[in-house]
Amino acid sequence: MYIKQVLGAAALLAVLGTAMLGCRQETSRWEAADKATRGAQDAVSEQAVAGSVFNQFFPKQEGEYDLVFKQEKQGFAQASLQQDSKELAVLSVMDTRSNPAARDKYSNAAESIAGYPLVEAGERTHALLVADRFQVQIQSVDPAFGASSRRDWLVKFNLAGIAEIE
Amino acid sequence: MAQSIYKLVDDLPAKSMTTRMLGALDWVVPGEWKNIVGFENTIRAVTGETDQTRIQRIGERAIHLFNDKSQGYQSAIWLYQTVDSVQKLGGMAAFTNKLSTSFGFLKFLGRITPKSDTTQAVDFGIKTVTEIVAFCKINGIPGDSVGQFVESLADYRHEALMRMAALISVDGLLPLGPEFLDKTLSLLDKTGAGALEGNAAFQKIRSMIPGGNTADQMKFIQKGVGETKNWMGSFVQKHGLTPDKIVSNLRGKISGLDGKLDYVAAVIDMSTNYYEHTGVQSVARSLISRAAAEI
Repeated sequence: MYIKQVLGAAALLAVLGTAMLGCRQETSRWEAADKATRGAQDAVSEQAVAGSVFNQFFPKQEGEYDLVFKQEKQGFAQASLQQDSKELAVLSVMDTRSNPAARDKYSNAAESIAGYPLVEAGERTHALLVADRFQVQIQSVDPAFGASSRRDWLVKFNLAGIAEIE
Repeated sequence: MAQSIYKLVDDLPAKSMTTRMLGALDWVVPGEWKNIVGFENTIRAVTGETDQTRIQRIGERAIHLFNDKSQGYQSAIWLYQTVDSVQKLGGMAAFTNKLSTSFGFLKFLGRITPKSDTTQAVDFGIKTVTEIVAFCKINGIPGDSVGQFVESLADYRHEALMRMAALISVDGLLPLGPEFLDKTLSLLDKTGAGALEGNAAFQKIRSMIPGGNTADQMKFIQKGVGETKNWMGSFVQKHGLTPDKIVSNLRGKISGLDGKLDYVAAVIDMSTNYYEHTGVQSVARSLISRAAAEI
């Protein structure tokens, strides 16, 4: 009888405990990053070049491919590569002065294109670091636009031109 | 202090009156809009990433970019939210005005509330311009770049294209009829700056609308509607949009939408916030897509 009561009480406590856990609001995985940058004015470096400088170095339109420019912010320019209005990939150039940590991944790069270190960053992305400063990246939108297409199109950027940006 | 971007995206409802209304418009732009809710889900959907370390980095960079007001994303969200919440009052005015013409004893209301067509025309103009200004903020181009906006409409996709489909359908065709574009332009011309001064949404967002005074800002709104007219007109033609078709699809998804078309429009106006809902989704998409290129 006594054991039954103890077990009953334990079960009740377990139920209450679970219920209370359920009520407690979980801390979001994003909360710390949000708190650390509230009211920030430093997401982009003042030393980063204007995004408009990058536009001329993007691949030129050719054949059935279209290049549609999207965001252009300080230190960043982005364009959408399309074929018959279907989006294949997102092309971008970024001045890593705004986020120097982006350069870290190149330190162990095993491959290179035109002498610049190349990394496969994530499942759909290839990126080059030009002149130790500019990240030239292609991210596939259409899974059919695979790793070899990304390499082919990275070469179509005017990499030498990007390397000469002051 | 601005809201947190991750919370805004996490708090988007999976189901609401707004999502049902947008779902009822899916036939206009099939498959373009998926109701992606949740910050992590949005990162996955936009970038195709599954690696948790990269998802975390992309999210953190996106949060940093959003929190820096100079990057324009906060202003874009604020515009979408504000024009939607304040225009609900506009919907109320349209409704009250309709009541005043139906019931004699409320006739006096007709004198103090704007004609519903004028309210709708001004609201339509303000929503169009809100889209232009938010587009410019998101993409980093000068706020008065109407031409660039019009060119890029051809490349509108996903929730942004759905937002335009809804604007044309429930804020254009339903309340103002098949000639809503010409009607809006002529009503804006007729009412002039005075109607803007009396518009609550305009009062809230006027500092963001290009133009040194109300008359100039009205000109900018007229220019915005005027220059998007061709694209919107061909959108209506291409998709065979008519008020009857729209309302019958809406009635199939949402119960209680009885009565005349302009009443339906007023009820939708008061009970949905599609500009805010899809606006948050659009800003999150641009922000995340940039963050993924900056880590």
